[in-house]
Amino acid sequence: MSVATSLSPARTLRYALAILVCALFAVPLLLALNTSFKAPDEIYRVFSLPDNPTLENYRIGLSQVGRSVLNSLMITIPAVALSVFIGSMAAYPLSMMRGRAGRVIYFVLLTGMFVPFQIVQIPTFYIARALGIYNTIPGLWLVHVAYGVPICTFFMRNFFATVPRSMYEAAQVDGCGTAGYFFKILMPASFSGIAALAIVQSRSVWNDLLFAMTLSNSDATMPVTAKLNGFVGAIQVQYGPLMASAVISVVPVLVAFLLFQKAFVRGLLGGSSK
Amino acid sequence: MTTNSRGSLKREKTVTFAIFLALPLIFFLTAYVYAVGYTGWLSLHSWDGLSPHWDWVGMDNYQDLMGSSRFWHSLVNNLQWLVFYLICPTVLGLALAVLVDGKLKGEGIMKTLIFLPYIITPVAVAAVWRWIYMPADGLLTSALEGVGLGGLAQNWLGDAGIVNGALMFAALWSATGFAFLVFFSGLRSVPVETIEAARIDGASSWVIFWRVVLPQLWPSTVLVLGLFGIEAMRIFDLIWSMTNGGPARASEVLATQLYDVAFTTFQMGEASAIGIVQLLLAAALILPYIIYITSHVEEQSE
Repeated sequence: MSVATSLSPARTLRYALAILVCALFAVPLLLALNTSFKAPDEIYRVFSLPDNPTLENYRIGLSQVGRSVLNSLMITIPAVALSVFIGSMAAYPLSMMRGRAGRVIYFVLLTGMFVPFQIVQIPTFYIARALGIYNTIPGLWLVHVAYGVPICTFFMRNFFATVPRSMYEAAQVDGCGTAGYFFKILMPASFSGIAALAIVQSRSVWNDLLFAMTLSNSDATMPVTAKLNGFVGAIQVQYGPLMASAVISVVPVLVAFLLFQKAFVRGLLGGSSK
Repeated sequence: MTTNSRGSLKREKTVTFAIFLALPLIFFLTAYVYAVGYTGWLSLHSWDGLSPHWDWVGMDNYQDLMGSSRFWHSLVNNLQWLVFYLICPTVLGLALAVLVDGKLKGEGIMKTLIFLPYIITPVAVAAVWRWIYMPADGLLTSALEGVGLGGLAQNWLGDAGIVNGALMFAALWSATGFAFLVFFSGLRSVPVETIEAARIDGASSWVIFWRVVLPQLWPSTVLVLGLFGIEAMRIFDLIWSMTNGGPARASEVLATQLYDVAFTTFQMGEASAIGIVQLLLAAALILPYIIYITSHVEEQSE
């Protein structure tokens, strides 16, 4: 039976089509990788493999964006940890409150999801300057945490809604307070939800260009997106080092994705497909 | 005694919940409510970003926008992006999900390859696609020449008539993976028995797809369309980093125009007015979606 199906023409066609599509999706990635190992004189022969694969582009790339990759890590990790925590703090009461107040607060928080971030760009710039957090890494944490409130609340609220209420009641009987239940029982029990949200948030914080451009202007603060953007638009583009830098900028997210693929997928589905 | 302790329990719960909500709400009020109010107020003024005073101009900034062809061009571009996002990556993602969801060997690798572009930073996507679109030696032109179609080659990002299509193609590469993955997971949740039952009743694969599978994918479709809608109204990174809105503002959208007006020409009032229009558009489009998901989730938790 299985042999018969695997040989059917329809199935063969399906395979061929699927492989073709995957190959097409891989082309830009392969081009970037291939270019990143080439010496300057071979760059413009786009289809050939490098004659003498070189790491020179990566050396240049690292000297150009290395510092900013570290900045991105120092921005992303605390910002994600904080925003997941703040989102959970909001989501917990909202998942338990039965009345109208809870629903109204939840709705108001969610309306933040449609605010295009550009429209708060000017105030964010001036507020950050007024608070003295312009061009600082903690400033970027705060901004990402603040703008992550709607999505993190939405996600964790969905997740907490799947935790049986009887757990809360049992904890109450055992003398566990409302806050105690959150820290001692609910959060540890929600590990898979937290992981999923964390990885999705990591992607959006890491990839952010707008706040990066608005709130950082020195090498000590600038994340890799803003730094790389400066090279992408340059008049005289050196494609070898640029491709190497692009690869470097992607590696951390890529590693995180490959390590936590399942959590990532769960996170993207955001509780909507349950 | 019992009622008393139940009362104090209830009070403890209310107080704890209020404390939990305080910090997120402070963040929200500052970052959203105050900031949006600030933009709204600023949009009624003229300000160069430096001088200590904002000059009141009333609705002038909005009137200027209404009469500005640059603004309408950006707005139309945003709407084109919206149509593009709601159709192209959504349909392609669904088609690919159906294609790969056939217990094919190597399914895992296929999934990863199609999805991978979605997690790549838009700036890096822009870097690679600028290289692909290089007029003389880029991959696309070289490939066309290689198959004898060199005459079709264009100045992909330098031609005002082509640039938006070129940008959308790059966006298609980067966004499809999301739709694909959501639909793929959605397909997994369609009960096999339902499909089998339809097959036994003599329904063709085509009919099964339209009548049985597709209706079950409704929640996935809502998620994909909602997020792509938000994405289309927000789009900035890819365009900014690939063309800066050029050539000659041909690929400009509201977000890139806002950035340019605010931080290149320092017309903060006019930039804010653009922002407010963008917000109203996004609200009109996405508010129904938010209302839908709030009511939907509410049902689940009961």
